[in-house]
Amino acid sequence: MFTLTGIALLVTMVLALIRAIKGPTVYDRILASNAVGTKTVLMIAVLGFIVGEPDLYIDIALMYALIGFIGTVAVLKVSEFGDLGQAQSPRDGDKS
Amino acid sequence: MRDNPVLRIVAKIIIPVILLFALYVQFHGDFGPGGGFQAGVIFAAGFILYGLVFGTEALRNAIPPGLLRFAIALGLVLYAGVGATTMLLGSDYLAYGALAHDLIGGQHLGIFLVELGVGVTVSAVIVTIFLAFAGRNDP
Repeated sequence: MFTLTGIALLVTMVLALIRAIKGPTVYDRILASNAVGTKTVLMIAVLGFIVGEPDLYIDIALMYALIGFIGTVAVLKVSEFGDLGQAQSPRDGDKS
Repeated sequence: MRDNPVLRIVAKIIIPVILLFALYVQFHGDFGPGGGFQAGVIFAAGFILYGLVFGTEALRNAIPPGLLRFAIALGLVLYAGVGATTMLLGSDYLAYGALAHDLIGGQHLGIFLVELGVGVTVSAVIVTIFLAFAGRNDP
């Protein structure tokens, strides 16, 4: 049962990866890589149940979710502003 | 990105969770996955998220670079100090058994202190690297 779930997750990860490689705009790629990260969290949790030590793997999945969010924020910031450090938008009056 | 309400609120909610999880990884490292280095990196990730959303100036105000340099040295001194203490107690360098009366208690205390030193140094170094990269365009 868990193996089947893992295979289904791998298939969806491959689909998201195809979108990340083909994606015409940068937002397609960011969304696809974000989806791959989310599915990796699920995959780690499922892997914990397959191996038989879910409490260890849940910790790793939690950490991956937290760090993946920071990575997505960093990539979005670089693609939008071209700089990691500033606090506000470079253009005056831009509320994006 | 400070003027984006969704990102600001989510960052304010998630940063304490990240720091708490880092402390959990640090102090629960004997029983689960984790240890000093991983906990230090996760702890620094919380500060990096703060720096990303609110800017490196706010991050410098929250945690001054002088304090970061002090923390880098403090972790190293803690690590080396445990080793020197065991040497002063008549054992080898970093032979934790000499720290307490029984072997198991000494190993618990020694590994706890050494991992704490590793965590402090690693988190301070990661935040310093982030400030050096992301803040290079700062005035």
